[in-house]
Amino acid sequence: MKKCLSLILVVLILMTSALPIAAAESHVTYSGNSGDFIFEPGSKESPTDLFPDFKGVMPGDVLTQKITVKNQADNKVKVKIYLRALGAHGDSRDFLSRLRLQVQTSVDNKMAYMFDSTADATAQLTEWYCLGTLYSGGKVNLDVTLTVPVELENIYQSQAGYLDWEFRVEEFSVEDDDPKPPPTGEEPFPIIWVVLIGVTGFVLILLLILRKKRQDQEEEA
Amino acid sequence: MKRIKLKIAALSFVAMIITFLVPGTLAYYTTSGKATNVVTSGNIKMMIHETTDQGTAFPEEGVYIVPGDVVSKEVRVENICDHPFYLRVKIVYGVDSIELSADDCFKLNINSEHWALHDGWYYYRGIVTPGEKTPYVFSHVEIVGSKVDNRYLGKTLSLSVQAQAVQSENNPIEDGNTFTASGWPTEQGGTP
Repeated sequence: MKKCLSLILVVLILMTSALPIAAAESHVTYSGNSGDFIFEPGSKESPTDLFPDFKGVMPGDVLTQKITVKNQADNKVKVKIYLRALGAHGDSRDFLSRLRLQVQTSVDNKMAYMFDSTADATAQLTEWYCLGTLYSGGKVNLDVTLTVPVELENIYQSQAGYLDWEFRVEEFSVEDDDPKPPPTGEEPFPIIWVVLIGVTGFVLILLLILRKKRQDQEEEA
Repeated sequence: MKRIKLKIAALSFVAMIITFLVPGTLAYYTTSGKATNVVTSGNIKMMIHETTDQGTAFPEEGVYIVPGDVVSKEVRVENICDHPFYLRVKIVYGVDSIELSADDCFKLNINSEHWALHDGWYYYRGIVTPGEKTPYVFSHVEIVGSKVDNRYLGKTLSLSVQAQAVQSENNPIEDGNTFTASGWPTEQGGTP
């Protein structure tokens, strides 16, 4: 019995040690109301770093970083999220120009890469690229693949390459024929505003008519 | 003229009302945020340890010797980086005299179980993982009495260890021979 238990324990230990180390996933979160984006997890090199899996890379490495872009705005709005590349920082260009970066959405891997170039370039992401229209709670997954050439020279040991990405969001109100997001418990759009707009318009038209009548009377007089 | 202006004002108002009442026609807000992403490259670092059989560091200033002496000197190499590597070491002899040679003056007990000689280099027969310290390359140095004669009296004999490492990740080898790895420097004393 003891032998059996020991065997099970050994197998369990081996299985545990054989488990792959989970890759760190990055998140870009839009919280709504024209607020800031939240970039996670960041790193000691940059608080908005989305590349935790691209640290200590070695010649011959081919690594993939998963990035989830999420809309956490409330249910009243849907958002269009855009991405563009701003390129490498000046002192990073030499190092990053040796590396290849590819970006695509995870859902349809057959699509062409939205970005496929050296890591220092802006290439296909020079202009804004729409990642999609996201409802509250919606998300889009990006796969970023970094390829380090096996012939990368020794002078590139212990280097750090900085490259900027910019995300932009446009908020739209949800239309009637849009998919219904799950309820959040918040109050619906107050009808009072519609009434106020109507009343204000009515008063304005009334004032204009009165003004016109007065002017006509003055002209006749 | 005034009638036209009035019509324009009314139409503008109607357009404004429609804009408010038909949601989704225009974006409410736009905002943007910048992420500064960082790619860092790894490195290969090692440290050579030279100790005596007492566990103390081998004296940097050296030791006095006489022919026939056997000096305790254990040489190991430690991986002090985050990446595994292949390793080779070379032992270089010297003497502070242009007329004399230090070759054959030393006899080492090479640890051939873990180190294989190939083209003048001793290759470690495996991968040195991060934090690992290799078994000793050699542990004793014998001063060969038949070679170190009176001509060497007062001279300084030196024995230095050079080490080179090359990454083992993405670097396959043939038949377990680490000298077949790619990336070994072609020039002696270079860095892989």
